[in-house]
Amino acid sequence: MDIFLSLPFLQELLLSTLRMATPILIVALAELYSERAGLVNIGLDGIMAFGALAGFLVSYQTGNPYLGILAGALGGILVNLVYAFGTIQLGAQQIVFGMAINIFAPAIASFIYKMAFGSSSSLAQATLMAAIPIPGLSRIPFIGDVFFNHTPIVYLTFLLVPITYVFFAKTIPGLNYKSVGEYPKAAESSGIHVVMVKYKASIICGALAGIGGAYLTTSYISTYSDGVVSGRGFIALTAVIFGRWMPGGILLAALFFGFTDALQLRFQVMNSKTPYQLLAMIPYISTLFALIFFGIKKAGPASSGKPYFREER
Amino acid sequence: MNTFLTMENITKKFGDVYANRAVDLSVMAGEVHTLLGENGAGKSTLMNILSGLYHPTKGHIYLRGHKVKIHSPAQAVKLGIGMVHQHYMLVEAMTVFENIILGTTKHKSFFIQKDKIKNELLALSAKYGLDIEIDKPINEISVGAQQRVEIMKALYRGAELLILDEPTAALTDIEVESLFRIIRRLTSEQKTVIFISHKMREVLEISDRITILRAGQTIATLIKSETTAAELAHLMIGRELITSEYEKKTVNRELILQLDQASFNATSKHNGLNAVSLTVGAGEVLGIAGVDGNGQSQLAQLVTGLIAPDDGDVHLNNRKVARFTPAHFIASKVSHIPEDRNKMGLIGNMTVKENLLLKSLNSSRFSYGKGWLLRRRQIAMHAREIRQTYDIRCASVEQEIRNLSGGNQQKTILARELERDIDLLVAVHPTRGLDIGATKYVHDKVIEARDRGCGVLLISADFDEVLKLSDRIAVMFEGEIVGVFPGINPPIHEISLAMAGKKQQTQDLAV
Repeated sequence: MDIFLSLPFLQELLLSTLRMATPILIVALAELYSERAGLVNIGLDGIMAFGALAGFLVSYQTGNPYLGILAGALGGILVNLVYAFGTIQLGAQQIVFGMAINIFAPAIASFIYKMAFGSSSSLAQATLMAAIPIPGLSRIPFIGDVFFNHTPIVYLTFLLVPITYVFFAKTIPGLNYKSVGEYPKAAESSGIHVVMVKYKASIICGALAGIGGAYLTTSYISTYSDGVVSGRGFIALTAVIFGRWMPGGILLAALFFGFTDALQLRFQVMNSKTPYQLLAMIPYISTLFALIFFGIKKAGPASSGKPYFREER
Repeated sequence: MNTFLTMENITKKFGDVYANRAVDLSVMAGEVHTLLGENGAGKSTLMNILSGLYHPTKGHIYLRGHKVKIHSPAQAVKLGIGMVHQHYMLVEAMTVFENIILGTTKHKSFFIQKDKIKNELLALSAKYGLDIEIDKPINEISVGAQQRVEIMKALYRGAELLILDEPTAALTDIEVESLFRIIRRLTSEQKTVIFISHKMREVLEISDRITILRAGQTIATLIKSETTAAELAHLMIGRELITSEYEKKTVNRELILQLDQASFNATSKHNGLNAVSLTVGAGEVLGIAGVDGNGQSQLAQLVTGLIAPDDGDVHLNNRKVARFTPAHFIASKVSHIPEDRNKMGLIGNMTVKENLLLKSLNSSRFSYGKGWLLRRRQIAMHAREIRQTYDIRCASVEQEIRNLSGGNQQKTILARELERDIDLLVAVHPTRGLDIGATKYVHDKVIEARDRGCGVLLISADFDEVLKLSDRIAVMFEGEIVGVFPGINPPIHEISLAMAGKKQQTQDLAV
């Protein structure tokens, strides 16, 4: 057991935690932006899958993973606008539409991939985004490598946490935005364009979730395969609940899930006797427990999930 | 004083129904102008037009002598019109401060400049005596304080005219006093207030002038000092004795329903019953008159087993009721036409046939083994017969009930409730939203049931309906029965006063 306490092991574990937490964190923030405008989006997994494919394709074609991330964002927006149109314009059930996204988006992604590469068994490889160490900071022993030697997407994601906090807590647009998720009628009577805010929210949500997906195929692994998202969208959904709809809480929740993921990978490497499938379950089981213990009390936006119909004018 | 607002010849139609018909209203700057009228008189519609929520079908609005068109609530705010809705437009999870600045464009900054705005708000609060705790979340302050936040919201947005829609409905007496103090402060600062109410005492206390609306039309505008409660009540209710086409019966001593000092949530004036005693005899209609929200809903729920009394007894057919469940009351031959047919009366996604069956599933006529196996042919035949006799207009009895018109839905309920063997019919707003033809049909059926010896408890906000059908009339006010009157030659004047909350000596017709 000494190995657990060794410095290199810890360093690796923490580094891996941050890397694993990144897609969950950015997608959880996507969900937060959606829910603050009253849209519960359970289609994150589907948006991620599409973003992962779009990111991979562009990165593969151009050799530039940054363009891949941009493509992921655009792909995510595209998919989420379908959801937005259905739920905002038609007043459809959000859960139903989210589920539909989860079914059709990965299927379309898979279809496009097969169109592009055929069904050959060899996987196409794209260039991975290189880590950019932050000058100075990255040379601090131990924590330098853990915190300041990552891809820009990781920095961006973690930077989004304080930005999101300030936006919702300290700014006037943020306050108006939040009121749409709480009580759209009051927002409308205060002169806020509710439908517009909801569309903006959908665009932000689609972009962030798409980037989350593209991160997987441009910065984490260099290939695309069906199921590459493997339920991270749902884990992100849990992270929002677990984090009590607060950016700081969501950060902690994402780190927790990232940590369990990193830990199970280490276990797999070290412990060849235990079936790896069992260890791979750790993040999902911890998600389940998180929901059991923290999912009970609803603390989210009051009108989240409810369709909004503007009154007849 | 100058005229601040003139509404001229305002007409608003919803479909074919007139909510306002050529209404004229003229409000002076700095006065408290009350709109008085029954439910459905068109007060709220008129104010929704003024606050930009509805567009008038016809008519003009002038503010300070200039003609204006109000397209949206945002524009109304710009013109200096602020409305405090009966149901507050406040975000519970946010603080008072956040609610007040929500959506404002006064400060064009990106970040919330809290200290600066806070000082403005505190000054405003002090000026009008609003006494607001600015940093508390909305869900931690009282209803009265929430209302002051709404007033503050309007004032912060620069309101010159404040519309208060039934502002006292949810307030305690002390809170009402403090609200009145604020209103006087507002008018002393040359703000104009339109006060909507149907509570006579309050209207007489706070108003400068009073405009009475009835059935969507302006009846009169009176100066407070030159009128009396009696005159107002008379104008508001506005009916001379109407001749009923139905023969009225005198009290029958065979009691079907008897309430003895029944109380439920007694401290609530609007959602409770306070020591209610009444009787319904076989073959008589007891009508409950009163302005909506004075405990009528609770009375209906009590005598159909939906709620149990906190105190007091209910007797059915001279037997004290021990179990307050709907099933028990249904088995005791009580039928119920509920106040909201879509919420309580029907299952929208089920067919006409199925809805007709809801309370009779267990009878051997429609099923074997108490509902285990349905006798489908019997059921279908029954449904077709009912459709014929009650003239329910539908494509077929297999049509989903939600696709039927309100009148046909109500006929379906009526058929289900009357085709059973019943002793008591509890009919709550039985003709709400129905046209004249359907209304007449429902009335005929209710009287038919009475003539068969069924006791009827009729609860209605439609005073005409109560007058027309009732053999005796009881008036409810703030959870109490404040008077019982004969149905033959009913003393309209006294009844209207009782409805407006004037307690008085009444002929004691309660048994």
